[in-house]
Amino acid sequence: MNTFAQAVLNGFSQGAIYALLALGYVMIYKATHVISFAQPALMVCGGLFSYHLTTQVGLPFWPGLLLAMILGALLGMAVERLALRPMVGKPVFTLAIITIGVDIVLRIGANRYMGANPRIVTFPNGSRQYEVFGLSITHQRVALIAVTAITVVALVMFFRYAKAGLAMRATALNQETALAQGIRVGAIFALAWAIAGGLATIAGTFVAAGSAGMEQNTWIIALKALPAIIIGGLDSLPGAVIGGLAVGIVESLTAVYQPNVAPFLGANFALVAPYALMFLVLLVRPYGLFGTREVERV
Amino acid sequence: MIMTHRRFMTRALAGAAIAALVLSGCRGGGGGDEDGASAGITEEPCPDAVNEDNGCIYLGAISDLTKGPFAPLAVPITDAQKAFWQRVNEEGGVGGYDINIEDHIADAEYNPEIHNRRYQEMRNDILALGQTLGSSQTLAILEDMKNDDVIGIPASWNSAWSFEDQILESGANYCFEAMNGVDWAVQARGVSGTVMAIKYPNDYGGDAAAGAKAAAEANGLEFVEVETPTGQDNQAGAVAAVLQQQPELIVVTTGPAEMATIVGGAAAQGWQGTVVGSSPTWNPALLQSAAAPALEAMYFQAGPWGPWGTDTPGHEAMRNALGDVTPNDGYTAGWAWSYPLLAALEAAAEMDGGITRANLVEAAQNLEEVDYEDILPPESGNQAGEPDEVAWRESVISRVDPEAPTGVSIEQEMSAGPTAESYDFSEPCFALR
Repeated sequence: MNTFAQAVLNGFSQGAIYALLALGYVMIYKATHVISFAQPALMVCGGLFSYHLTTQVGLPFWPGLLLAMILGALLGMAVERLALRPMVGKPVFTLAIITIGVDIVLRIGANRYMGANPRIVTFPNGSRQYEVFGLSITHQRVALIAVTAITVVALVMFFRYAKAGLAMRATALNQETALAQGIRVGAIFALAWAIAGGLATIAGTFVAAGSAGMEQNTWIIALKALPAIIIGGLDSLPGAVIGGLAVGIVESLTAVYQPNVAPFLGANFALVAPYALMFLVLLVRPYGLFGTREVERV
Repeated sequence: MIMTHRRFMTRALAGAAIAALVLSGCRGGGGGDEDGASAGITEEPCPDAVNEDNGCIYLGAISDLTKGPFAPLAVPITDAQKAFWQRVNEEGGVGGYDINIEDHIADAEYNPEIHNRRYQEMRNDILALGQTLGSSQTLAILEDMKNDDVIGIPASWNSAWSFEDQILESGANYCFEAMNGVDWAVQARGVSGTVMAIKYPNDYGGDAAAGAKAAAEANGLEFVEVETPTGQDNQAGAVAAVLQQQPELIVVTTGPAEMATIVGGAAAQGWQGTVVGSSPTWNPALLQSAAAPALEAMYFQAGPWGPWGTDTPGHEAMRNALGDVTPNDGYTAGWAWSYPLLAALEAAAEMDGGITRANLVEAAQNLEEVDYEDILPPESGNQAGEPDEVAWRESVISRVDPEAPTGVSIEQEMSAGPTAESYDFSEPCFALR
């Protein structure tokens, strides 16, 4: 039982990173109906902003993270304004391809900054351990879970109570109607990218504060948020959170139990498990667990 | 039937997610004419030659300079080799030639397929490979190297290289290194329980795991093996295996990021024991990471020679040649690996016909000693006898030392444990495929 609970806790904390990234994907999708493949680059750049501010400039971790989030948000806005706004009205597939190009360009710049050595963000007392009901968790993982929880609550409040949040919901529902109601849809697009940039920065910072830091191939972590948003539903913020956590937990449980329970599946099946879960969910609910079912005219 | 926008996006995204899965799984990666006898050597001086009257020998280097797991080591390895050959040139060159390794440096991203492609691009322009990084990667070009009479300096320590005439290795291989690590842990750390080898599923991992297994059996210890892929996000399985099986000793053969993730992750959940990593598992940058306390407490490195700060003429020459760089034992490896090629070039220069590919192959096969300037003993460079008789079996064990230039300092001087000393090395520890 303890092994199971520990695996769930480990998966939960790893899933928090996937959830933050998945939220970014969904924010952009809801506002613009485009899947942004630039999220890995935003995560890497965000992590490097934190690295630079804390290690090179000398800011403490939390102010550094806050400032990095602002820079990440500005980067997201810049991407939207320079690469995507001019393409408004073009097929979403074209826009998605553009985000791949943006991802490559940003990561080339990030790689030049990084060089060959990992860039590690120092988290104060990050390796301090806590024991709760026989379960171990580090200070850094506790902080990650807390930050994710605060972020999710803040997003919920934003959409429920803020004027801009309401405008975003209206835009997600119908862009033309929102425009007719006086909502500046372009500004909403920029806001969605800014929020996604900020979220990716939080995820990137905690990745860079991990055991191995940020390396040139660390961007691949962000791709694990893809099955998360399919599981949760492309247009669902709660779905993104639950999908991200589900991916982390399934990955962790599979890593612990599969070698003994189903060794015939081979070594490291945990890598495949989130995608297996994604297929299962798609079979049962093609729009994801919390995605909006579309009414089709056939 | 009309495909709705969201359904299209879902399908496109599912496809992208599968592509992401494949990506995650796959990552883990001059001059002269075209006559094989004289390719890679010209009577024209090298570009920016140190000695304008000398001809030029072009060496190739196929490395892991950007995205691969060993890039933090491979960049300094390559820089050290540039500095090594620059020093040779400043001392007059070899046999009337300067050596140029700068013009044919290629990044193969630790990928055998790209490695092969890079070799094809340079095969007619180089005399020899001053660096070919990776075991599987070198295997991917070995047949072509044999056809071309090209010798290569491996940036790896695979036991199979002792059985290849055209590979000029230095130092104890991964297999002996792991044996020495296990023997040392038994004697110095009192390990008496399970030994777990955590390894990449490739020749690098396989070779060290074979050595760890041999040493565990020789010491009467239980042995288990865990394969783990590249990527710090893919180590949950290895961490779970450590926590479930509670080994007393882990022998790790991965990249530095994976090693730190595994050790840091297991330690965060209460595991305590001893970790012996193969030489490429260490990167001093890890001392800044969240895993640093666990590494300081439990990690030891089994390596082929002393780290950057060791007091030998060879180490001192390296430090002087490289000048003001951030110390890294990638430099030490790149520097030390280059000595046998220098010795082979000097021997070939004395042969009829002088320095040619064919003479270089013959000279390399007949090397009995190499002057490593005390980084290694001269006899460790013996390539002339049977591997079981001449293969170098001694390693250095280092511990984490934040005060040391490269974060490690010597715990046990160069020596061979009882398992390595008595091991029947009549074939490679792990068959290359």
